[in-house]
Amino acid sequence: MIRLENLTKQYGRLLAVDALDLQVPAGELFGFLGPNGAGKTTTIRMMAGLLKPTAGEIFIDGISVLREPEKAKHICGFIPDRPFVYGKLTGTEFMRFCGGLYDVSPSALEPAIVNLTRLFHMEDYCGELIESYSHGMKQRLVMAAALIHRPRVIIVDEPMVGLDPRGAKLVKRIFRELCNSGITIFMSIHTLEIAEEMCDRIGIIQQGRLAAVGTMAELKERSGEADGKLESIFFKLTGDEDMQEVISALRL
Amino acid sequence: MLPYTSLFYPGPAQVFNRLRTGGRRGAARALVIGLMGLAFWAAVFAGFYRVLLYFNSVPVFGSFLADKLLGMALLTFFSILIFSTVIAAISSFFMSEELQLLVASPFDSDELYFVKLCETVLTSSWMVLLFSLPVFVAYGVVFEQTAAYYAIMATGLIPFLLIAAVIGIAIALCLVTTFPAQRLKDVLFLFTLFLVIGLYVLFRTLKPERLVDPDAFFTVIDYLSSLEAPTSAYLPSQWLADILGVFLFGHDAADLVFNVLLLWISAAALVVLLNFFFNRVFFSAWSKAQESRPVRATLSGLFDRLIRLVTRPFSGRMRAVIDKDFRTFFRDTAQWSQLFLLCAIIGIYLYNFSVLPLDKSPIPTRQLRSIFAFLNMGLAGFVISAVAVRFAYPAISLEGLSFWIIRSSPMGLRGLLWCKFWVNFVFLALLSVILTVCSNYFLRVEPYMMVLSTVTVLLMTFGLTSLSVGFGAMYPRFRYENVAQIPSGYGGLMYMMCSVLFVGAVVVLEALPVHLLVTAAFHGRELGGFDWIRIAASFALILAVCAVVFVLPMRAGLRRLEEMETL
Repeated sequence: MIRLENLTKQYGRLLAVDALDLQVPAGELFGFLGPNGAGKTTTIRMMAGLLKPTAGEIFIDGISVLREPEKAKHICGFIPDRPFVYGKLTGTEFMRFCGGLYDVSPSALEPAIVNLTRLFHMEDYCGELIESYSHGMKQRLVMAAALIHRPRVIIVDEPMVGLDPRGAKLVKRIFRELCNSGITIFMSIHTLEIAEEMCDRIGIIQQGRLAAVGTMAELKERSGEADGKLESIFFKLTGDEDMQEVISALRL
Repeated sequence: MLPYTSLFYPGPAQVFNRLRTGGRRGAARALVIGLMGLAFWAAVFAGFYRVLLYFNSVPVFGSFLADKLLGMALLTFFSILIFSTVIAAISSFFMSEELQLLVASPFDSDELYFVKLCETVLTSSWMVLLFSLPVFVAYGVVFEQTAAYYAIMATGLIPFLLIAAVIGIAIALCLVTTFPAQRLKDVLFLFTLFLVIGLYVLFRTLKPERLVDPDAFFTVIDYLSSLEAPTSAYLPSQWLADILGVFLFGHDAADLVFNVLLLWISAAALVVLLNFFFNRVFFSAWSKAQESRPVRATLSGLFDRLIRLVTRPFSGRMRAVIDKDFRTFFRDTAQWSQLFLLCAIIGIYLYNFSVLPLDKSPIPTRQLRSIFAFLNMGLAGFVISAVAVRFAYPAISLEGLSFWIIRSSPMGLRGLLWCKFWVNFVFLALLSVILTVCSNYFLRVEPYMMVLSTVTVLLMTFGLTSLSVGFGAMYPRFRYENVAQIPSGYGGLMYMMCSVLFVGAVVVLEALPVHLLVTAAFHGRELGGFDWIRIAASFALILAVCAVVFVLPMRAGLRRLEEMETL
C-alpha cells in the first residue's frame, strides 16, 4: 500500500533522509522509530506532500505522490505532531471544512461528523471555538478530521503527544480497529512501549537511513538482545553511545 | 540571583542570528526598507521645514505659531508613545513566549521588571523617536541652532520617553488585572482603529484646503492662534517644549534647569513607583493572562445560512475554503473591524468629489469634469491597491500555521490561490465600481467617460487583485499576532511599489485616448481613422499590461508556495 523508493531529502549540506526504501502492505500498522533528528518527520512530511523529496519516489496504493499528488492525497489522512488548526472555527465546522477539502458529499459528511465526534468523545466541546481547546483536545479533533473522508492510508506523526492516558488508550484502540478493517497506518512514535504494543512491524531510522525493519520477533533475532525488549533493540541498533552520554550527564 | 546579562542576552542574540542567516536576500530587504524609511524621514523633514519657514515669514504670529506647533507635536508624540507602550507592554509583559521560561527561572521580580521595562521602552519608542527626529532637526535648521540645542534635546527626550513608557506599562498592568489579555488586545485594536478613523474623518472635515485659500487664510491663522489646548504645566510634553523653547524662541532661560530636573526626577520617581506596583500585581495578572475559557461560536443561524448562500456558486473544495474564510473573517476582530476603515475611506473619497469647486476653475467645466474623471481612474486605482493590501495581500498568510491542512489535502496550491483570487476580486471589483460610478456621478461626466473609466478601473482591479494575492503568496507570513502585521513587511512594501507602478502605467497609457476623445467632444468633431488606430493601440497596450500583471504575480506566488519547505 505504501512504497518508498530511494527516497532522499537534502537540506543544504545536511542529508536528512538517505535513499530510503520501504514497503508497507495494506492493513498494517507500521511504527517508524528513531532518535531525534533521524529523519522521521521529514519522511512523513514528504509522504504527506508537505515536502518535496530531493530524489526518489513515494507511492500510495500505486499512485505517485510526486506526479499525481491530488489523487494520492485523496486516499490519505495526515495527522501532524503539532495540531495547528483554525482557532476561529468550532470543532464541527473544522470537520465540515476538512470534509469539503476531500469532496465528501453532504449526505455522507454530517453522519460522519456525528460518528467521529462520538468516537473521539468530543461531544461536550465540539460547538466551541478551537482557540479555547487544550492541546489534547486539538489532537483528538485533528485525528477525527483526518478520518472524515474514510482514507485508505493514515500517516501519523507522534500521535500520543499531549494526550492523557484515557485519550492515548482511546487512540490505540481506534488505530488497531482501523488496521483490522484494512486501513494502513504509518506512524512515527517516540514511546517504545507503545510501538511494541501496537505495531505489526517496526522500522528504525538513524541518520536518514533505515537501520532495521521487521516484526518484533525479527528485530529481536537480528539484534541478538537477550531480554527481547524493544528498548534494548533500539539502543543496540541506534548505538549506545548517546545513552552513555545521557547517563554520564545525569550523574554530574 | 542571576546576572542581568542573561536576561538581556536573548533579544540581541536573536536579532544578530536573523541578520547572520538572512543572506543576500535579507540584506536586499534591509536595504529597500532602509531606503523607504529614509525617504519617509526626508519627507517629514521637508514638510516641517517648509511649514516652519512659512511660519517664520509671517510677521508677529510666526514664532508663536511655531511654538504652538511644537507643543502640539510633542503632545501628539507623548499620546502615541503611551498608546504604543500599552500595546507593546501587553505583549512583552504578558504574551511573549519566553515569559514561561523567565517566570519559572530564579530571577526576582525586580530583575524581570527592569529587563521588561527596557525592552518595552525600546520596542514602543524607537519608531516614534526615529520619526520625531526630523521634526526636531527641522526646528533646529530653521531657527539656526547650535550643538547645544541638540544636546539639550537628547537630555530631555530620554526622561520624556521613559515617562510615557511607565504610564503605558501601568495602564497595561491595570487593564490585564481587569480583563482577559486576549480580549483586551481586541479591544485595544478596535480602539486604535476607531481613533485612526476618527482622526482621518476629523482632518478631512476640518477642510485643510482652506489653508491655501487666500480668502480664508487670516481666519485660519486667527483660529490656530486661539488654540490653547496643548499648554498645560502638568504635561511632560510641555516641559520638553519649554526646554526647547529656551533655545528656539528665546523663552526665559531660568526655567531650563528646572524643567530638565523636573523631567528626570519625574521619570526616576515613576520608574520606582511602577516597580512597587509591578511587584504587587504582576504575578496575579500574568497568571490571569494564561487562562483560557470555552468560547461559543458567535454566528447566528441566519448568518450561517447567508454564508451558505454566498458560497453556493462555488465547487466543493473552493466552497469549503471560502466558507472557512468568511467565518474566520467575521469572528476575528482584527479582520472585520477593518471594514469600518474601508467605509471611512469610501465616505471621504466620495465626499471629496462632492465638494470639488469645479465652477471656480478657469477651465471650461465640461472639459474639466473629463480631466477629473481621468485622474479619478488613477486615484481609484491607488485606493483599491491600498484596500487590497489590507484584505487580499494577507489572504494566503491568514492560513497561518494551519497551512499544512490545505497542503496535505487534495485541494492543491493552484486551487487555493485561485480561490483567494476570485473572492477578493469580487469584493474589490464591487468597491471599484462604487468608487468610480459614484464619483463620476458627482462629477456629472459624459456617458462615454463613465464607461471608459469604469472598465479601466475594473481592468486595474483584475491586475491589482493578482498582484496582491500573488505577492502575498511570494512573501507569506504565517506567524503573526494580528492580521494588520501581515502587510507591514518587505512583501507588502514591494507590492505597494509594484501596484503604484502598475496604476501609473495604465493611467499614462490611457492619457492619449482620453485626450483625443475629450478634445474631439470639446470641439464637436468626429475622430479620424488615424485617431482610432492610436486609441486602439493604447487600449491594446493597456490590456497587455493588465494581462502581464494578472499572470506573473500569481505564477510567481504559486512557484514560491510550491518550493516552500518551512511549514
